[in-house]
Amino acid sequence: MVEPHIELRDVYRSVARQPGKGSPRSGILSGINLTVDRGELITIMGPSGVGKSSLLRLINRLSEADYGSIMVDSINIKQFDPRELRRRIGMVFQIPVVFKGTVYENIAFGKKLWDTDADIDKLAEETGLPSILLDADAANLSVGEKQRVCIARALANKPEALLLDEPTSSLDRASAEKVEGLLLRLQAEHRLTMLWVTHDQEQSKRISRHNYVLEDGTLREDHG
Amino acid sequence: MVDTITLALVLTVAFLALAAIIASRYGIRKEVFISGSRAVVQILILSSVIILVFNLPIYWSLIILLAMAVIAGHTTYIRSGRLELMFPAAVLSIASTSLALLVPFFLVGLFPLDPRYIIPTGSILIGNAMNVSSLAIDRYRGELRNRRGEVEAYLALGASPRTASESCMNQGILSALIPSIDNMKNLGLVWIPGVMTGMLLSGSDPVRAASIQVCIFIAIFLTGMVSTNLLLYYTTSSFFTAALQLKDEAL
Repeated sequence: MVEPHIELRDVYRSVARQPGKGSPRSGILSGINLTVDRGELITIMGPSGVGKSSLLRLINRLSEADYGSIMVDSINIKQFDPRELRRRIGMVFQIPVVFKGTVYENIAFGKKLWDTDADIDKLAEETGLPSILLDADAANLSVGEKQRVCIARALANKPEALLLDEPTSSLDRASAEKVEGLLLRLQAEHRLTMLWVTHDQEQSKRISRHNYVLEDGTLREDHG
Repeated sequence: MVDTITLALVLTVAFLALAAIIASRYGIRKEVFISGSRAVVQILILSSVIILVFNLPIYWSLIILLAMAVIAGHTTYIRSGRLELMFPAAVLSIASTSLALLVPFFLVGLFPLDPRYIIPTGSILIGNAMNVSSLAIDRYRGELRNRRGEVEAYLALGASPRTASESCMNQGILSALIPSIDNMKNLGLVWIPGVMTGMLLSGSDPVRAASIQVCIFIAIFLTGMVSTNLLLYYTTSSFFTAALQLKDEAL
């Protein structure tokens, strides 16, 4: 049975036009409504600067909505401890950020933090990181490898959903294809809910049948 | 005597004018000019009341040092961009650390319990704690701003603000301590600091002057390091909202 996992109801978000307190604000999200079922993968498309990343950041409360409500499992996210919410709703950023330390230490960060039963060696294998890399300094990896580390690190938290902010756009074509395939496989295997932001229409159609377009602050489903 | 004062003041004004001219290249002419002018006025006022202060009962020394710590805390607060919690935290960290490291000088009997020793030694510790704290908070804020992606990557995994900002905080403290570490490394090689200079000029034994100087010097370093640690540790929450988000207006 299909159950709603993540719901956005009439969500508004504005951003300061200039840094600093009291600066005038402009609206970037103007009444967003969206329901994503558990285990569903949807894509959100739109040109740069339209607010796609801002939308994702609202769902795990890295930023705050001005108005409206966001629900996870029909509970308003404001009722969650923000840390627990972020464990449940993981995020992978456009530009991969690895922490100081080895690949193993990076992946095991969430396991240590949350005391999950994640198998680090298995996660590395699943994300295509050879075991020989586990003791390597994460800072020395290629961008594609770093993105894999970030995906494995997010999965070590045992999340129920992943917010993917253009996870392949900073990669070369070959790495992008591999990471895309990897994410699709992990989504199916872990039955993860995924909100995948992309500006690539072809990729959007290829990975999901539920495609949304963010334009002029509102979200519409793309049936094209 | 009058000639010396006049000469010193004329030279001071010339140096300050030159500093202000050069500072204008960096857009800080006004700040340099006002700070320098304040320094001149304040030190002249101090010189005219210092003997009076030294003759006051000993509890006045503590009141004066606390007043200095409040002013030092306010300076750090301004440097932090007037962050919430920063003023009381800066005053407390500077005052508590400076006083804690001042007490041993009198406990072991290195100095007599006299305002002539309490106030100048305490002011050296407070002044340096302020310098290091201001540098550290400025750098910490810069690190959080420049490494926002890294901090948010930690937060997105459910890390606490303290864990997320630990590396930025350490960098802030390290950067602020670099001048003190370099000074310590080169003490006696590149420069002879103030206390020792004063003692030598007044005819003290050089070895005695050096022993006291080095002890004060290490105390200065320790005060800066501990007060900055306390300050940054307890004010990390000022950079985050209650929902554990980085505050745009604080960066």
